Amino acid sequence: MEIDKILEALKDILVERLRFEPSRLPELSLATMLPKNIEGSLGLDSLDFIELSIGIEERFGFVIDESQDLEAHFQSLGTLVEYVSSRMADR
Amino acid sequence: MLAWRVAVRMTSSSDGAGRRWYSHPYNRPDFYRLAAGLSWVPRRLRLALARQIGRLTPSLMPTERAAIENAMTRFTGATGSQLDALTVRVFTDFAMCFSDLVSTNRQPAALRTSYVGNVEGVERLAKLSSGLISLTAHVGNWELAGRLLAGRSARPTHVVVAPDEARDLRRWVRRDGEGVRFVTRSRPTVSLELLAALRRGEVVGVQGDRALGTKGDVEIPFFGRPARFPLGPFLLSSRVGVPLLPAFCLLDAQYRYVVKIAEPFTAARGEEEGAARTWVAALETIVREYPTQWFNFFDIWEPFDG
Repeated sequence: MEIDKILEALKDILVERLRFEPSRLPELSLATMLPKNIEGSLGLDSLDFIELSIGIEERFGFVIDESQDLEAHFQSLGTLVEYVSSRMADR
Repeated sequence: MLAWRVAVRMTSSSDGAGRRWYSHPYNRPDFYRLAAGLSWVPRRLRLALARQIGRLTPSLMPTERAAIENAMTRFTGATGSQLDALTVRVFTDFAMCFSDLVSTNRQPAALRTSYVGNVEGVERLAKLSSGLISLTAHVGNWELAGRLLAGRSARPTHVVVAPDEARDLRRWVRRDGEGVRFVTRSRPTVSLELLAALRRGEVVGVQGDRALGTKGDVEIPFFGRPARFPLGPFLLSSRVGVPLLPAFCLLDAQYRYVVKIAEPFTAARGEEEGAARTWVAALETIVREYPTQWFNFFDIWEPFDG
């Protein structure tokens, strides 16, 4: 799956499940950080990460690998796109 | 329908840092070290000493005393000398539970087990083969309950704690081992670890009585007045489809512990707030029965400054 399509799908999840303001979608890029307490990040808290992970599983049709350290994959939209891409390639 | 979610937004680094709701100057390693140093004293004598210290404490902690008086009034309707006695009893009960916890934390599990007189509802735990969320509160010896349940469930147990507690007090009460692993809330991605643990069939232990001061709280009447409770455990339950198991460890009149495991329940998707209300009802039942083992020394109805 192409990087751009994955990024767009992640944006859809942010809007649909985390109620991100659609008009601000153009501000998002692969460099956008996700966790709260980081300057300029989306400010996601622990509950948001649950929603996001479930949204990814439903949208892309895989179960997020529980044997991995997931924190690094959920740092930014870029790392998340890479993670989803690699999981899709494994299928 | 649950309406907890607010729009995700770009933040500055100070956003979402969490509100500091309560602290007191006595939650220091020195006091834990002192309590642990008395672990060689026979338990009967050690608890008598703890009660004496507990009786002195309210005069040293007027703010906490006022908060406890307020809570006891609401829980029991007591006034005058009866209220005074109940208030002091909270401090003496806490001192005993604290002494037991710190004394036994580094000891073999058999020592802790020897303090337990009865376990009510243990068959409910035995019936649960999937992952589960053990819900408890700052009532009775909640930390002991976590270790006891970890032993009973024979599954890895991840206990979620506030980061400041873990940093300062780890040596005394946050010791990993015997199937228990402490997980701090400092990283928001910790929820991904918990999600994975539950899917592996493991146990996640959380405190369900302290709001976070974030959008992840929900307001529910507690003894007739709205209080805020964390919604995270119920969201985890609904997303993974695992049951929530209220469990408490309470000191009885003979200074033995009784472990009470309530009926498990699962939060359905979109019904997380309703599940939180079920939990608060279970908490009220326990607090009504053991009001002096309510160990939240702050105003639970107004926990945040300003």
